[in-house]
Amino acid sequence: MNCKNGVGPSRRKVLGGAATALTAMALGVDGAQADSGLGASGAPVELRVIANSAFSHTWQTVLVPEFNKVYPNIRVTIDGVPYNEHLAKLMLEATSTNPEYDVLVIDDPWTPQLAQLGALVDLKGPKVAPITSADYDWADFNPAPLASGEWSGKQYSIPVRSNMLMMFYNRAHYQKAGLPEPTPGLTWKQYFEQAPKLVQDMNGDGTIDAWAVDTFFVRDQLTPTIWQAIMNSNGGALLDDKGSPIFNNEIGVAALEMHRKLLDYAPPGSLGHGLQESLQTFRQGAVATMFMWGSVYKASGIDTRASTLTLKELGMQVMPVGTAGPGTHRGIWTAGISAKTRKMKASWAFVEWLTSKKGEAVNAALAGSFPARKSTLTQPSEEWMKPVYIALQQAYDVAANGKMWRIRSPRSDATQQILADEIARALAGQVTPKAALDLAARRISRILR
Amino acid sequence: MTDAALARRRNHGKWKDLLVRWSFMLPTIVLLTAVLAYPLFYTLQISFSYFDMSIFGAGEWVGWENYETVINDYRFWESLRVTLIYLIIALPLQVALGFGIAFLINAEWGGRGLLRALFIIPMVVAPVVAGGVWRMILDPLWGTMNFLLGLVGIGPFDWFGDPQLAMATIIIIDTWRWTPFIVLIATAALLALPRDVFEAAKIDGASWWATLWSVALPLLVPIIAATFVIRWLGAVKLFDIVLASTFGGPGKATSVINLFIYEEAFRSFHFAESAAMVMIVLVLTMILTGLFLRGSRKLEELY
Repeated sequence: MNCKNGVGPSRRKVLGGAATALTAMALGVDGAQADSGLGASGAPVELRVIANSAFSHTWQTVLVPEFNKVYPNIRVTIDGVPYNEHLAKLMLEATSTNPEYDVLVIDDPWTPQLAQLGALVDLKGPKVAPITSADYDWADFNPAPLASGEWSGKQYSIPVRSNMLMMFYNRAHYQKAGLPEPTPGLTWKQYFEQAPKLVQDMNGDGTIDAWAVDTFFVRDQLTPTIWQAIMNSNGGALLDDKGSPIFNNEIGVAALEMHRKLLDYAPPGSLGHGLQESLQTFRQGAVATMFMWGSVYKASGIDTRASTLTLKELGMQVMPVGTAGPGTHRGIWTAGISAKTRKMKASWAFVEWLTSKKGEAVNAALAGSFPARKSTLTQPSEEWMKPVYIALQQAYDVAANGKMWRIRSPRSDATQQILADEIARALAGQVTPKAALDLAARRISRILR
Repeated sequence: MTDAALARRRNHGKWKDLLVRWSFMLPTIVLLTAVLAYPLFYTLQISFSYFDMSIFGAGEWVGWENYETVINDYRFWESLRVTLIYLIIALPLQVALGFGIAFLINAEWGGRGLLRALFIIPMVVAPVVAGGVWRMILDPLWGTMNFLLGLVGIGPFDWFGDPQLAMATIIIIDTWRWTPFIVLIATAALLALPRDVFEAAKIDGASWWATLWSVALPLLVPIIAATFVIRWLGAVKLFDIVLASTFGGPGKATSVINLFIYEEAFRSFHFAESAAMVMIVLVLTMILTGLFLRGSRKLEELY
């Protein structure tokens, strides 16, 4: 035999060669994965994401395993940050010489500020476009939520958890008061006509135990969104085309007076109410309506640990109609990629998956996040989602038409704080609505200049 | 040994002694410089600069511009006014209550030790927790306070919705938290008072009130003054209780200066203006503390 006489390869050599070839093949595959920036089985890519603590844990436990079914070699760690510290942390991250995070989850008004600092990658630009899947459907996004991630004509982030300001109502209260169930056509005029009847004795013990409304009245950056939604529904706007404040006009003042009038039909202590307190009163059945972020719907109607209400009692629609149409306000969490990341491909793989049709559907079904894609909104995975998604789609359209969002500026947070201060003073009766808005307009004008 | 040599040796010994002393102090100096002086001077630098967000630090020198902005901002003065109202009401109230309670529990009776131990509880509760718990207790809709007051026909009160009541709420929470601290100091002071003076007063037939007014109080004046200064230094830093209970509202009714500075810095990112405010408040606090210390020393001399 050749092998025996030394002419042919020996068995050891053949086995050795085969092993080498197999190792080389394996290394070749791994090498290719590693080169792709998406990690390999022995060398995974570590990706760090900064997100809001309200949903970071759910994402980590529910969404990351789903993502890893597609990208098993990208290890994602999602760190949760409380809302009040989130923007400051993002700013520090953006200016750090040794940044920690690859993917940044950003609230609606923060994109301009971070983009201005050069903290974000243009997701339609030359770094990301070549590695974007051909079937990634940008046109499928509703324009209003997608615009949340835009600044100066560039797309810096993409919706991952959409939210809109909605009107929640408790059917039992309307029935008890003998009022028709609200429809999306309900006007502010009708709302205020019905409000006194919704302040009532629900349990029949002779004392008032239910009120018409609860919402944001406390000194908080989210409180001006209620006033703005009323103003927008009546055709008002924060800024004119040149970017100068115009909200201190008749429409703005009337809207603030309406916001203040809501207090007449709200439970005692409502002037100190914000998100948690309003939710508490509504979920305990103490108020008939609540103007609140839509994302609280599921917990309000399904989660018996969080709410006494059932889905049968719970309704949700756009806020009442003013002279220009219904009202709402946009509040979208978007995901962007840090300009300083060294893991661009893995970062985009995560953001792309999370915002793809499949990823968004998973996010909606498992984490309860509201979708931004038209396709997801037309295919709700659960029964309770059907009316909610219809209302959400209407809110997106309404927001897009009326530009119902906070001031788009790198100084957005500062302007919102000014509105929070002045609107709170007007609501507390410490100053007239006109005086409060005039002062806010002057100060915002200075900041934007 | 000549006089010159003796002088040299004495001089050498003096220098050696000085060196040893400074070497002991050096770690403290380094530590204090790192944790106190550096942040202070950095804040001072920011207060005279444009805050450059791209480097997240002090940029171009702008002179007094940030101070001018602050001085022309009505909210700064409004917050100072709110802080002053709180200090004027809360400090004397807490000192009076603290010493009053100390007098009452100073008498010999069973369970006094337990009561003293219970007094420590409010002090060890985190301020944010205290604010949150009191927010629940005073909630006009769900809180127990209005329910209990209602049983005796009082109220209901809108603790967080009425500007005056909201300030009262802050003072109540702060007093609940800090009066025990004063009680402890006062109790220790009372126990340290010389017994023979009180015995002499008793022999002379002094009444309880006369003993308190003419014997105990004069002896306690230096302690009361010192307690006031200590409590003042804590009270001017009021922040967390307000953040957890009223958020500075309703309107701006309880927006104390520290909350305002925090919001301006970390919500509006006006770091330079906030630094200027910090420096102004620091100077004001130092002047007032100096005056209080001087007054305290005068009282010590008088009594």
